[in-house]
Amino acid sequence: MNPAVLKLELMAYGIRPGEGLFQPLANPFGLVHLTLPEKLAVSIHLQERSPYSLHNRNNRFFLEKNGETIPVQWTPPLKAYEKKTSSGLAIKEILTVHGGLIAVHPKGPCRFGLSGLSCRYCGSTKALNEHPPFTKKDLVEAIEMVLEEKRCDFVNLSSGRVTSDDGGVEWLTPWVVELRKHLHILISLDLALPRSLEWIDKTYAIGVDALYYDLDFFNPDETRPATFQEQRDLHWKALEQAAKIFPAGAVLSHLVIGFEPLEETQKRIDLLIGKGVVPILVYFPPLDGSPLSSRWKITPQEIQGLYARLFEKLTQTGLNPHWVQQRDVILTPLEGRFLSDQPARYPLALQNFYETSLGRIVTLGLASLRRHLRVREVPAP
Amino acid sequence: MKVKIDTRPLPVVIASRWWRFPVYLLLGYGLYHFYQSPPPEGLSLEGFRALVVFLACLVLWVFHLLPLPITGLFSLIAPVLMGVMPAKQAFSFFGSEPVFFILGVFILAAALLKSGLSTRIALLLLRSAGHSPKRLLLQIMAASALLSFVMSEHAVAAMMFPLILVITRTLQFIPYGGSYGRLLFLAMAWGCIIGGIATMLGGGRVPLAVGMLQEAGQETITFLQWTSAVLPVVLITFLAGYLVLTRFYTIDVDSVANADDLITTKLRECGRPLLEEKFLALLVVGAIVGWTLWGNRFGMATISILVVVLLFMFRVVEWKDLEENVDWGIILMYGGAIGLSTILNSTGAGLWLVKTQVLPHLGSPWLLVSLLSLVSLLLTEALSNSAVVAILVPLGLSIAPTVGIDPKIIVYTVASAAGLGYALPISTPAMALAFSGGYFRIKDIVLPALLMDLISWLALMATARLWWPLLGIRI
Repeated sequence: MNPAVLKLELMAYGIRPGEGLFQPLANPFGLVHLTLPEKLAVSIHLQERSPYSLHNRNNRFFLEKNGETIPVQWTPPLKAYEKKTSSGLAIKEILTVHGGLIAVHPKGPCRFGLSGLSCRYCGSTKALNEHPPFTKKDLVEAIEMVLEEKRCDFVNLSSGRVTSDDGGVEWLTPWVVELRKHLHILISLDLALPRSLEWIDKTYAIGVDALYYDLDFFNPDETRPATFQEQRDLHWKALEQAAKIFPAGAVLSHLVIGFEPLEETQKRIDLLIGKGVVPILVYFPPLDGSPLSSRWKITPQEIQGLYARLFEKLTQTGLNPHWVQQRDVILTPLEGRFLSDQPARYPLALQNFYETSLGRIVTLGLASLRRHLRVREVPAP
Repeated sequence: MKVKIDTRPLPVVIASRWWRFPVYLLLGYGLYHFYQSPPPEGLSLEGFRALVVFLACLVLWVFHLLPLPITGLFSLIAPVLMGVMPAKQAFSFFGSEPVFFILGVFILAAALLKSGLSTRIALLLLRSAGHSPKRLLLQIMAASALLSFVMSEHAVAAMMFPLILVITRTLQFIPYGGSYGRLLFLAMAWGCIIGGIATMLGGGRVPLAVGMLQEAGQETITFLQWTSAVLPVVLITFLAGYLVLTRFYTIDVDSVANADDLITTKLRECGRPLLEEKFLALLVVGAIVGWTLWGNRFGMATISILVVVLLFMFRVVEWKDLEENVDWGIILMYGGAIGLSTILNSTGAGLWLVKTQVLPHLGSPWLLVSLLSLVSLLLTEALSNSAVVAILVPLGLSIAPTVGIDPKIIVYTVASAAGLGYALPISTPAMALAFSGGYFRIKDIVLPALLMDLISWLALMATARLWWPLLGIRI
């Protein structure tokens, strides 16, 4: 079975626990970490009605669907989640790890978290409101504990929903500074749109390596506010400016598939790539019981063409797909190669190099050097 | 400060930020190469290497490869590394009298700033413009010039700048929004520049040049001798500066009543002069009298350091005030430059250079003076005026005996011309501050500045021809 299709199906339908499994099977956020054929990592929710079940026989894990078996590898949840910082906070209350990315939501639960569900990106839940907010020191300690157990190249900080002019950068700046001070790691920010473009310059200057300005949806409908068009124009300007400032491929934007016609999403993919922005297609069928589940229409088979197109467009432009890091919760643009006929020799070789220790040192070194060269201080007008 | 991201292609950014490194390497290789090479005929090995060090410092100063003070320090260690002389001897040049004179002058300027006396004087000089824009302009230029007689010009500019900024805003001029705003800043800068050459207190250039003269074993120039020699140049250029400014730029405001009110209010805010200010004023007058009457007997530096000691005895300033307000870097630069000049002379390198490279092309003393002043004027537009003195005075001092003119003339010529840079922000801190006001661009002042360069040169030549002989200075 095509590993990319399998990954999409698993993300859509989840898995049922079968026999012989270890406990705990899932991480504290309910995600089971598997590695599919061709080394495709995926983190999946448990769903009672899923056609896929996970089994373990003689320490060999496999998925079963309609009698067909697919060998997979199961990765136990990080032990670090159960550890505590010196102030007594559990690591799972501070961060979530997605492949090589440590996701943090310092302001408390995100919108998904507030809805009562566990966010598949930042891991935040409503429960985050029930303990004291963590400090920068807590975060550094938590990340250090994770890094002792697992290699991670990125920390992603989310600003949450903010309405200030800066898009949340100002509030996150001390966090970035603290991380830069103690850790040699790439930092990305998930931000709201800034009203003034100079905040994008500041974002890069404080030590941020990659940036998410999420577009999520494009096609305005009755659920969109009246100012949507205006916001979208601002969004384009911000994305264009960010693409000029950040390294090629380091400006990213999530596009949620399934809430609008696929042609619309395809147009936006082309538009974003044309502006130097890497779209991250988010195929997140709402969990059972979610208020949005009734609106969901798209099946994994229908969206394969989108991923293929994304991969092909991206390899044509030369944007570096390595900056996409949440590999286990999305089908990355590079993984779209399994759905395309186009060869992926060069980006794959680059990706493999980045995975090595030398590749990590080179990436971090080049990111620092680039910032050193590009950031200038000029007298204020 | 504001953050800006340089979005040019990375190779261009690298070239613009790291171009210095290949030059450093070339310079290092050059020094090593010449260290290994035999000297040319007629020049000692030490002299040859001293000349190489001088050329290296010249490159560093001209292209700003290192900050000026650091090049000053480099000029002290390079002769040691090149085997020109032992470290003990090279570092001893730093302790020359002019360095301490400059130190004393800077401390005195810092005290004037800190006490508020300089601001009070400036406000008194600006008072009662009678609502006339032209008169206010003249007063700003005169106040800047007069204060630069007793304080280093950059301190005066730093003090005047916020005043001018407030005045322009009171008159509701926005940057690039009117001609009169530009005029006010230029009047301040040109006033400082022109006034700065009038005495030995207007900046470090003159003491630096005089220090080089002394270290070359020549009789010094006293405070009074300097001022009396250059005063005609100051008067002519001041008048010309005012005329050039008012002819080139239109005065697009009818009344400066608002500015008058502001100055009166600010003066009232100063209150009555404090005892410290009165004492400081007394000390400044005393210092000038001391330099004039007893400068030769006790040394200029002795009097200036004595003034500093008195400042502290009567607690007019605290040490932390000096840490903030004294340009310590420039003192390092002067110490190094004086040392380098001495090394060039003592090793015979300067003389060899002049005899073989310069003299064959120079016909008369007048040609030398004309050329030196012209080159100083032009160089000072692109270089720091202290760097111009550091480069040209040692050469001039080497030429003077062979051409048959008094070495003092070299100092008068170069040190005065090197102070008169009217166009670019890199020439003097006063211009840099004026630019930072944001009321004019370089292209706005190119023509008037070039005209002022020409007038200054002609004024200097006329003074040398007509005035200096009356003072016993003959070319």
